[in-house]
Amino acid sequence: MLNAAATTAIPAKHDKLPRAGEGRSTLPFPDPWVLIPALLLLTLGLLMVASASMPTADAKTGQPFYFLFRQGAYVGVGLLAASMVFQVPLARWRRASPLLLLAAFILLTLVLIPGIGKEVNGSMRWINVGPVNVQVSEIAKLFALIYVAGYLKRHGAELQTADFRTSALALFRPMVVLAVLAVLLLLEPDFGSVVVLMAAALGMIFLAGVNLWQFGALQIGTVSAMAVLLWSSPYRRARLISFLDPWADPQASGYQLTQSLIAIGRGELFGVGLGESVQKLFYLPEAYTDFLFAVLAEELGLAGILTVIALFMTLVWRAFLIGQRAERLDLKFSAWLAYGIGLWFGIQALFNMGVNMGALPTKGLTLPLMSYGGSSVVVMCMTLAVLLRIDVETRAGGVHDE
Amino acid sequence: MSRNSVGTVLNALRQAGRRIGATTRRGLVFTLLFTAAGGMLARAAYLQVVHKDFLQDQGDDRYLRTVEVSAHRGMILDRNGEPLAVSSPVDSIWAYPPELLKQRERWPALATALDITPAELEQKLAGRETRQFVYLRRHLAPSAAQQILQLKIAGVHAQREYRRYYPDAEVASHLLGFTDIDDAGQEGLEKTFDAQLRGIPGSKRVIQDRLGRIVEDVESLRIPQPGQALTLSIDRRLQYLAYRALKTAVLENKASAGAAVIVDARSGEILAMVNQPAGNPNNRSELHGDLLRNRTITDVYEPGSTIKPFPVVLGLESGKWTPSTLVNTAPMQIGRYTVRDTHNYGTIDITHVISKSSNVGVTKIALSMPAERLWQLYRNLGIGAVTGIGLIGEQAGVLRPFSKWAEIGHANHAFGYGFSLTILQLAQAYSVLAADGVRRPLTLLKREQPLGPDDERRVMAASAVRQVRAMMEEVVTKEGTGLKASVPGYRVAGKTGTSRKIVAGHYTNRYFALFAGMAPASAPRLVMAIIIDEPKGGAYYGGTVAAPVFSQTMGSALRILNITPDDMPTMKIAGAVPAIGAKP
Repeated sequence: MLNAAATTAIPAKHDKLPRAGEGRSTLPFPDPWVLIPALLLLTLGLLMVASASMPTADAKTGQPFYFLFRQGAYVGVGLLAASMVFQVPLARWRRASPLLLLAAFILLTLVLIPGIGKEVNGSMRWINVGPVNVQVSEIAKLFALIYVAGYLKRHGAELQTADFRTSALALFRPMVVLAVLAVLLLLEPDFGSVVVLMAAALGMIFLAGVNLWQFGALQIGTVSAMAVLLWSSPYRRARLISFLDPWADPQASGYQLTQSLIAIGRGELFGVGLGESVQKLFYLPEAYTDFLFAVLAEELGLAGILTVIALFMTLVWRAFLIGQRAERLDLKFSAWLAYGIGLWFGIQALFNMGVNMGALPTKGLTLPLMSYGGSSVVVMCMTLAVLLRIDVETRAGGVHDE
Repeated sequence: MSRNSVGTVLNALRQAGRRIGATTRRGLVFTLLFTAAGGMLARAAYLQVVHKDFLQDQGDDRYLRTVEVSAHRGMILDRNGEPLAVSSPVDSIWAYPPELLKQRERWPALATALDITPAELEQKLAGRETRQFVYLRRHLAPSAAQQILQLKIAGVHAQREYRRYYPDAEVASHLLGFTDIDDAGQEGLEKTFDAQLRGIPGSKRVIQDRLGRIVEDVESLRIPQPGQALTLSIDRRLQYLAYRALKTAVLENKASAGAAVIVDARSGEILAMVNQPAGNPNNRSELHGDLLRNRTITDVYEPGSTIKPFPVVLGLESGKWTPSTLVNTAPMQIGRYTVRDTHNYGTIDITHVISKSSNVGVTKIALSMPAERLWQLYRNLGIGAVTGIGLIGEQAGVLRPFSKWAEIGHANHAFGYGFSLTILQLAQAYSVLAADGVRRPLTLLKREQPLGPDDERRVMAASAVRQVRAMMEEVVTKEGTGLKASVPGYRVAGKTGTSRKIVAGHYTNRYFALFAGMAPASAPRLVMAIIIDEPKGGAYYGGTVAAPVFSQTMGSALRILNITPDDMPTMKIAGAVPAIGAKP
């Protein structure tokens, strides 16, 4: 999959490209290695949502394509939003990053207020805006990562200084911000988003050149904090235990995971065939949202899983490549943000798969670009548009933002 | 190690912590992500290749079900292949309570569609909340079931079953019996031949969704084997004629019940078996005892005068009597009993003993021979033993040993008292008369092969039987008691009977009116025995009440069966070809 020729050819080509800002028409075509896998994942996602949601849609609404049509509309909105986001220069995001952080705080706070936030299945995750419900965690994650990238750009040098106090303080400040965000997310509760956000942010900080000792200490701190969080709530602890041995109580706490595992086990190498899933017939809850991957594994088998992992890893690889190119051009904000986006996509996708396959405790995380859900799809499309903007700006030679 | 050297090492490590370059860090993170991706792929491969059997077994446990496939019950056909009982597909509506309970708001609509009250629906589901299967309504027409399914209420499903349908409704209900809601024979032929009619249900393995709906047939485990059809000896047309005539007679005479049987004298096949009152077997609410009793086999009666031809046959066989032998029929004393006729007919010949139905006459004939002879003949005619047609509930009747008869008993047996038989047994006895004294086994099933010599048994001398038949033709004349049994165009031989009903061991002023006869008398083909129970319309004689049933039935039946008339005065000259050897 890795095309060595293409990789090495790109920098040479770039030197001839006009600089961004010289006119929109002169911007290079966005990276097809991002565009095509993303579109393939969206398409495959629509296909699987159609298949997995049909029984539920038929039972609930009498219209088997109810969820497909809605998801199709979300994808349409997502692509529209992406094309608009793509027009926004990175510098504007960077300058707006403190405001975006503030917006993230406000949104995460609003959602907790009864009357504004809407409770579904015991979690306050949605804000009702007109005809649609917005899942604020998704947009908050994007804003938080933009903030982290901006912070690292402004204070990256402090992180790397030999002076222990300076560097420790530089590390401590964003961690406080992230901790507050994490607390707000935990109040929803949305533990999955906390894990993904923390992992992506820590990855960005690590890549930004943090002192390994301080980072190691921070890691230990974060991990133990999460362990305490996990163990302190009986609800999370029960989930954790049931994830370790779902077959101990397959009718109650282990129900969802065992159904998911059965679906995956039925898939074998090439799946039972598109539309042929049995587990989606009301056995597997959340079959078209958080557990879409299990239905995909059942219908398309190991071949389908390999395809999905390969597509996500292609996105991750390109994100890192784009980040690396930006770092070389000293476009720090772009670089850290590209890494963050790559980490986010990779971690969330792998986390969702891990949950589906019983390798990680059950958490409400969507499979990016694929799972049913408007907020997730739209935000993920916008995020990839930011990545593509970084790509084209970088290849255009970069707009120096110092 | 000195303090200084420890500090040096720490310092070096601290330096190293900072010095790891951007490329290395990127590589490290990237490798970590790819390793995680590889781990996920390995996990998937483990689940889908190594662990799959366990997981699939778990899945099978959850949604594979073995369900029964109803087998089509065999049809019951008349001798000409006309359907008397057919199984038609119906749908039964059933519920998966755990799902249905979640949508109480849809219960009123469901109850309305099911044509029950919400309270009844509530009741059906009460206490069954955790069951997997509860019937809501059985046996709906497929279109009606479809309407209910179109409500799209989760947990409400339909199951294909078969329901028995009887096209002729009550006409043959006593004979055919009926099936229960699970298609098992409960009465009559449906029960008697259940093993043959009943199919063997098949089974199949299916995938059910979690709401209990069958979404896919996986494999057929056992193919349902349809039951075999049962072809009866019954002729649907005759059954209908007999039923109509009997019903008319029962209604007109305000009788409480009635029964009649038609037998084909040449084969022993029962062509019709009808009863009154009757219920429509297609309507389950009409399925109760009184309407369903097949009185032709379950009820026994004293035959009264209808038995008289048999002692007369015995008399002729003995050589002591001829049709023209004269006998004084003045009332006679036997011990402390007096045997008498309705009128004193004076001295009459044997033919008139039959046509006038003289008790005194037959008593004198019977008493001229040992009682054992009469008993033996009755036994040979099948009185006191079931006929062997196999219908459940058949009674044998009572024929006490001759040693217990005494002289008055001997006399009583000659004119039809002191023993009892079913109408079917009476028809059987008359079929022997019709067959020149040969007894052939009765059957309700169509004979595919003619009876062989081994099946037949001569119980009376042919010449004596023919002479008695000639006497019985006189019954159906203006001089006899059974004129109303006459059939235009055909000669009829028969005998009326009126017997008093015994209630609680005592004879009452209530009566059974009987008629048994055959036609055409020159070569008897159809034998019919009729009883009308307790006529309350004024008339109660067999010749008045029962004989018309014979006439009405036979008039049409003989023509339907294309039996050549033997009593057409114009026939001899009307024929285009003169009969060979015929003399004007």
